[in-house]
Amino acid sequence: MKFFTTFRKKSPWILHYNAGSCNGCDIEILAALGPKFDLERFGVINTGNPKQSDIFLVTGPVTYRSRERLVELYTQIPEPKVVVAVGSCTSTGGVFRGMYNTEDGIDRYIPVDVYVAGCASSPQLIIDGLVTALEILETKSKAIEKPFKLFGAIETIGNKLSRLNMARKVDNDEN
Amino acid sequence: MKKTIQIPLGSQHISLLEPIRFKFECENETIIGVDADVGFVHRGVELACTRSFEFKQVGYVVARVCGLCAITHSLAYTLAAEKLLGYVANDRIKYLRMLMVELDRIHSHLLCLAHTAENAGFEALFMQIMGDRELVMEVQEAISGNRVQFDYICIGGVNRDLTSELCDLVRKNLMILSEKVEVLIGLFDNNWSLSLKYKGIGVLSLEDAYTYNALGPLARASGLATDVRAETSDFPYEALGYTMIVESTGDIHARNFVRLREIVNSIAMCRNIVDNLPMGEIQEKVKGKPKGEEIVRIEAPRGELFYLVRGNGANILERVRIKTPTFSGIPAMMEVFKGSQYADAPAILASFDPCMSCTAK
Amino acid sequence: MTKIETTLSTLLLDIGAFYKPKEWHFLTVNGIDLGEGKIELQWIFSKYGVKDEVVLYYALSDYETPVPSLVALIPSSTMGEREIVDMFGLTVEGAQKGLYLDKDSLPHPLRGDV
Repeated sequence: MKFFTTFRKKSPWILHYNAGSCNGCDIEILAALGPKFDLERFGVINTGNPKQSDIFLVTGPVTYRSRERLVELYTQIPEPKVVVAVGSCTSTGGVFRGMYNTEDGIDRYIPVDVYVAGCASSPQLIIDGLVTALEILETKSKAIEKPFKLFGAIETIGNKLSRLNMARKVDNDEN
Repeated sequence: MKKTIQIPLGSQHISLLEPIRFKFECENETIIGVDADVGFVHRGVELACTRSFEFKQVGYVVARVCGLCAITHSLAYTLAAEKLLGYVANDRIKYLRMLMVELDRIHSHLLCLAHTAENAGFEALFMQIMGDRELVMEVQEAISGNRVQFDYICIGGVNRDLTSELCDLVRKNLMILSEKVEVLIGLFDNNWSLSLKYKGIGVLSLEDAYTYNALGPLARASGLATDVRAETSDFPYEALGYTMIVESTGDIHARNFVRLREIVNSIAMCRNIVDNLPMGEIQEKVKGKPKGEEIVRIEAPRGELFYLVRGNGANILERVRIKTPTFSGIPAMMEVFKGSQYADAPAILASFDPCMSCTAK
Repeated sequence: MTKIETTLSTLLLDIGAFYKPKEWHFLTVNGIDLGEGKIELQWIFSKYGVKDEVVLYYALSDYETPVPSLVALIPSSTMGEREIVDMFGLTVEGAQKGLYLDKDSLPHPLRGDV
């Protein structure tokens, strides 16, 4: 599998999810993908599909309604994967810390590899964070990393790990 | 047998910047019903403004409601607080605040246009507009110290002054930008593939705009002449060359054109502000505690932003009500989706320029 | 800003006589908790094309009394009504819960006793 590792480093695809941020970091990610900062010179493409992504860019302090989506997206990204928390509120809760509908930072739910500071993070910082993430991606193996907080459980069905239940809804009542 | 199919869009999707979930009820390719879940980014800013933060800090907290129009949020709150404290800002402060709001409008509109182009499948135009947008971001960074979330406005004035070198930078960058916007206007008007995606698609009629209380560029594209800049007297907009931009067709093309022509108008206003900047202090001491009730309306890039602030003479306010443009625009937006093709949905959605962080607070 | 007092029972008549879609822009529904179980509800309108003309209807109520819905008169009031249902735990005819809050969120966060 050494063969693929080389390419993974050369063309990391990112998945971006807004877990309740103010948009500031999201537009800075867009600006970083734009021509002035040109994140694409590292081979980075913004993709909407978690199954094809290597790097998970998260912004926002995790609101109650985005918790299951965050864990669900995290579990869908194939190993090895790197999580980058963009912005102060993503790392610690920031200005939203203690507000009634937020969790204080995404590291309560999923393991974070790189924290990018700033409110809002500037494109330079985001690029720096992504380059650090690439170095971490190289050293990672295909071992499954579990999220810290699960809504369901990892089961073994016929000698295979099933992660289908990992991000079950908080309440069974589907709405 | 069921005749319709349900297609979900979101909450995570490549064409969405922010989480919002739509449930489209489709009959073949035509959307006949739509349901939206907008509460993904609800954080609880309104309660925090009246519990955890003092009134002097709230201006910086409400800026974090939305990163794109942060300056209008802090301006609206600050104006309300200043009215409660009985303070009237001098002309220099007013002009500097207007300058930042108009610069913010330019960059927000450019981002929306870029996003609309991307969702119509025109990646190169997205890159071109994002490149042009950096001219404004550069100016904002030079004036305020940060690219977005510049906490520029405080109670009693602004936090940084505009020096003559900065004035030159504003003039230079806006000069380059106005030429680029002319090119964009030609492109949006004449490009064949953009016309196919934009003209006659996603139409909001004038009648519906009145019924559903559309606002901002969405309303002005349908011919409803409403703009808070013309309906409030807090700032001397008319003296600086403000004109209301109204289109009549109400489709995506008209909304793009309202935005493009507003950028041109805003550039002219910014130039006028920089050329006619009055002298004076940039920050004054304001004493007292807010007491009473005050409402303030400001034209954010997406429409009318409304603040209601009530204080009882204490350090902590009693109520801060934030009504954001997208929040009241949602019923009109849902109406536009009905009857259009599912394949056009991302482009129509981007043309509204929805801001979910604003909506859910 | 003009403030006009009304009551919940006469609200539909008052606003029905006042509101004309081509003249007035409906801003929003607002609630303010006054403490001790009392709540002030506000319906705010602004006039198209006129400077600084805002009309605010307000009514005093409590948590239990159902609030009449304006959707038949003003279709866009549905968002504001859903918001006060969530934020204050009021009942509004035809407005569902769950615009912002989840099952395990703090219920009616803007009430004074929270």
